[in-house]
This record gives sequence, structure tokens and C-alpha cells, in this order.
Amino acid sequence: MTYQETRAAGRRTGHSAPYGGRPAAPVPPARPRRGPGARRALAALFWLGLVAAVVPWWLDTPAGSLTDTADLLTAGGRITGLIAGYLLLVQVLMMSRLGVLERALGGERISRLHRDLGATLLVAVLTHMSLLVVGYSRQERNSVLAEVGVLLTDYEDMITAFAAAGVLVTVAVTAVGAVRSRLPYELWHLLHAASYLTLLLGYAHQFSNGAQLHQPGLVRTGWIAGYVLVVAALVWGRVLAPLAFNLRHRLRVADVVAESQDTVSVYLTGQRLNQIDLLGGQFFRWRFLNPGCWWQSHPFSVSAAGNDRWLRITVKVVGGYTAELRDLTPGTRVWAQGPSGTFTAAHRTRERTLLIAGGSGIAPLRAMLEELPPGAALIYRASTPADVLLHQELDWLAQARQTSVWYVVGRRDDPGPRQVMNPEGLRRLVPDLTRRDVYLCGPGGLVDEAVAALRAAGVPRRQIHLTAFEL
Amino acid sequence: MRRALLAITGLAAGTTALVVLKGAPGSGQTLPDAPLPLAPVAPGGSAAPEPPSPTAAASGSATPSSRASAKPTPKASADRSPASQGGTRTSTAPAAPRTTTSAPKVTTRTVTGPSVTYEYGSLQVRITLSGSRVVDATAIGLPLGGQSGQRSDDVQARYSGTSGEVVARQSANLSTVSGATYTSTAYKQSLQAALDKA
Repeated sequence: MTYQETRAAGRRTGHSAPYGGRPAAPVPPARPRRGPGARRALAALFWLGLVAAVVPWWLDTPAGSLTDTADLLTAGGRITGLIAGYLLLVQVLMMSRLGVLERALGGERISRLHRDLGATLLVAVLTHMSLLVVGYSRQERNSVLAEVGVLLTDYEDMITAFAAAGVLVTVAVTAVGAVRSRLPYELWHLLHAASYLTLLLGYAHQFSNGAQLHQPGLVRTGWIAGYVLVVAALVWGRVLAPLAFNLRHRLRVADVVAESQDTVSVYLTGQRLNQIDLLGGQFFRWRFLNPGCWWQSHPFSVSAAGNDRWLRITVKVVGGYTAELRDLTPGTRVWAQGPSGTFTAAHRTRERTLLIAGGSGIAPLRAMLEELPPGAALIYRASTPADVLLHQELDWLAQARQTSVWYVVGRRDDPGPRQVMNPEGLRRLVPDLTRRDVYLCGPGGLVDEAVAALRAAGVPRRQIHLTAFEL
Repeated sequence: MRRALLAITGLAAGTTALVVLKGAPGSGQTLPDAPLPLAPVAPGGSAAPEPPSPTAAASGSATPSSRASAKPTPKASADRSPASQGGTRTSTAPAAPRTTTSAPKVTTRTVTGPSVTYEYGSLQVRITLSGSRVVDATAIGLPLGGQSGQRSDDVQARYSGTSGEVVARQSANLSTVSGATYTSTAYKQSLQAALDKA
């Protein structure tokens, strides 16, 4: 069950890491905790905004004025329209990579919220369209199709609005898991980026036709201000902040080291690295500026805590892009965006922790280990001894920081993993499980299995921290 | 995914709740603020200042305000002169002149068009002229309640009054009010006849 022979994992090619695979500061400074306060404030802001979006309709509509079906349908259409407009702004804002959001919510939570809110947005837009088309057609005693024709020809900006809806549907369909997995990531990404078009195409019709936004006044101004703010956030988070960061730090590839047969560590150096507000477990979005990779950026966690000399990512080679990383030449410039994520020691709710890693999911946990107080526990699942990464560093950290490390090696159905990955097994290894924060990173199947076991063992949900293995 | 379903359910429930709360009959009468000053008698009455949430006190029924229900006007900015656009802005007040019996000034005269029957009822357009210039217009006999009443309000708000489209254009060549095509057509028909008579 406990893996003793760790020599296999140390298979490095030729030379050892030139910057030393050891943490820079043996005694880490105590990081202040980052509680859920910022997250709750953002949630409150979201709900406030939602109410503010619908209130104009409420105030504009006299009570009892909705007398027949057409009225009710139209009113429903207007409400869903306002909600959809607001949700679209929130969706774009969440993708703005704004530092505040990235560090308060974390990439994982943002992408989950983005997906769920995206589905809601789609439903809201479709409801908005169908309710209004049916409502208007009843009011004007038209057939539904004729009414669509009237909307398209007689109303201003409705052609672009319908186009926006079309784009949105396309984006939503391709975002569905089954479809998404069939498209190459790059194509999918391009398609998904088309959703910015909805912001542009759907903009005009809200003001030329929106009952609440048509008239100049506070509501209209506020709505436009919302758009301005979102675009500003987008420019700031996607362009200006990364520009400032990269001009300041000028990251370059220093070395590429093989950690195992199919895993590499990329070491990066740059300027003023001590000024990066980086916590172990956070990630950057990396863009390696060489001919093969410059046009896409991918999120990878740093696999060592922040220090003033180097950054490191540890990546498993799974596809075309990650294969390119193996061939990076030292000196290659790197464009990085971040750091982001709430998967850090500072976000824990309890003093003690349990880390569960699977395969290359060890990277963020390895970085986090340096910032955790003594007494942490690490369970490292790997399917073969060769898949155990960074084991020398882990052993070293375990010794220096009184961390218990269990290497659980074998296939899922082997006796070792079967004994550990259940409530009793976990409790046997870590008796005070329920009084610890648990951090998980690894392949989806492992994480799901472990979360189920943890929940069954009585670990409260808020003490379980997940990070997306792939964003 | 569970969260998305929850959110969608919330969206549906919230929207329904809002519509039902607003649409609840009976709550219309309890609207506390801004009862309309007694229906203006002067021809200029339709340019009354906009109360925030007017109910047509004169008719006693819960007539929806034209402001809330004003459907966006197709090509609103595209094919109307600035003057008449100003007219739409100010004439968002409720259609009080419906009950107006206009008291013509000494120098003006009124001409009433024929009663035109249309899908929801019938109407008659009465115009006030000063010399050969139309200075006021209103439709009378329009249906009041419900959806038809709302259409009447929309049409009145657009066309009638001292700053309505009729006065701005000085003709029956008016742009149709969307969502109230029949009412608009009937209005124009009666107006044309009245203009011919004048």
C-alpha cells in the first residue's frame, strides 16, 4: 500500500535541475489567510446587479396592467430579456481575467460558473425571443412566422440581434461536452471566442427596442455604463494587466527537464520574480513565444512555491501542444497571465490539511506543501511507479516539514488503491480527517472517487478544495 | 450541471412570479402614487406632464399607462422628423383626451371625421384647426378596456394632442403604430376624411 521504492520516479535525463529542485526558502513566511469574504462580496454584487437589471421593468409596469395572454407573454419576454442582457455582461466579465476575480473566485470556480451561467443565459435568450415573438404576434394578430418577418424588417437592429442569438446557440451547442470533445481544442476555442460577437451584435437592439432602455434616463445610462465597465475590465484583464506583468518580469525559458517518460518540467527565469504575488497552488496561463506555440495559451500550475529566482511548471505530455513543450529551447520568451486560483494554503479553513494528488496533479500540491504548516498529509496516487513525479522533492519536503507522504501506486482495482480510496481507508491513514482541509488535484475519475469517499467519511464540503486538472 | 438546472428553474420561477405579481388583478386600483389630475379639458391637455405611473382616473378602470406598454416603435428614429420625434417624447402621458370634450377657442374650429368601425370597435377623429392649420387632434369613441384600450392609448399617444404626429405632419400620412395597426389605420381613415372636410 505504501510505496517504498521511489527510485523509479526519479528518472531524470542526464542532468539535474540547474536551479535546484528544492524550495528556495526553507522557512516560509506565514501567509495571511484569504477567506471567503471576497467571494461572498462578489456574490452579493451579482445578485444586486440582477435585481437592478429587473427593477426598471417593475417600476415601469403599473400593477394590474397585464390583462391578457399577449401582455403576460410580452412581460415575460421583457423580464427574460433584461436578465439575459445582464447575464451576458456577467459572462463576459467572468472571462475578463480580471485579477480580482481570478484570485477571489479562482479559475476553477469561474469556469464552472461560466458554464452553468452560460446554460442559463442561453435559456433566457431563447425564452426572451420566443415569448416576445409570440406575444407580439398575438397583439398584432399575426402568425408567429409573419411576426418574425415584421421584427426583422420593420424593427431597427433586429437582424443583428437574431444573428447574436444564432452565434449564442452555436457557441452553446459546441460547449456541450459531447460535441466539444469531438472538436480540436483550437477550433473549439476559436468558436467559443465568437461569443464576444453576441456582445457586439446584441448591443444595439436593447436600446433601439428595449421598452426599459429606449428612453434616455438613469436606466439607459446605467445599462450603457455596465457595458463600458465590462469592456474596460476586458481590456484591463486581457491586455493591460498582462502587458504590465510581462514587461515587468520578462519571463524566459531557462531549461526543460524530463521528470519521467512523459512528463517535463519547464523552468523559467525573469526579472523581479520576488515581486510576483504568487501562492503555491496557483496557476498562470502560459504562452510560449516560439513558432509552434505562440498562438495558444494554456493554464498550468506552478509546481514550486514562489521564489525570487525561478518559476517551474510540471506538465504531462498528453497532446500536440504539450509535446511541443518538450522541445522548448532555453531563452524562449514566455508571455504569462496570472497568477490566479484559490487552490492555495491561504484559502484553507482549518489549520491542518490533507492533500490528495493523482499523477501529474501533484504539481500544484507540491508547490503548496512549501506554504503549509507542519503536520500536513499527502496521499499520492499513481498508476505505475514511473508516474510518481518529483518524489525526491516530496521526500525532502516531508522530512523538512513533518509531512506524512503516502505513495499509493497501482491501478484503480489493485488492492493497495482499493484499500485507501474509501472512507475507512482514508480515516485509517488520516484519523483526524474531518478536521482537515482536503486539497485534490488529479484526473477526474480519481477526484470524483476521492470526493465521494471524503464526503462519506464526514468531511464538510467547504473543507474540500478542487482545482481543475484541465481548464 | 445541477447548478445550471437550478439556475434555469430559478429563472423560470422568478420570471413567472414577477409577471404574476404585476398582473394580479385588483392591485391596479391600490396604486398609491400620482393620481392623475382631473382629466384636462383644454385641447392642450394631452401634453400634460408625465406622472410616474398614471392611471386613467377619469374612466375609473385600471387602464394601463401608455408609457409602460409602449412597444418599441419600428424605425422610430429612422423615418420621422425631429419635430415629431419630440412629439412622441412628450406625448407619453396617458390618453386623457379620450374623455375630453374639446372647448374650441374663439379663433379655432373643430371638424369631426366620420366614425370608422374597425376590428376592436370604432373611432372618430376630431381635429381642431386654426385657420387651415391643424393645432390639435384627438380620437373619440375608442375602446377603453383591456388590450384594445392599450392600443387606443398607444395610438392616441403617438398621433393626438397639440404636439402629436398629426399636428407635426399636418396630414393623414402618419407612420403606423406597431402593435396597433388596425387602430392606426382607422385613425388615419377618419382623419383623412376630417381633413378633406375642413
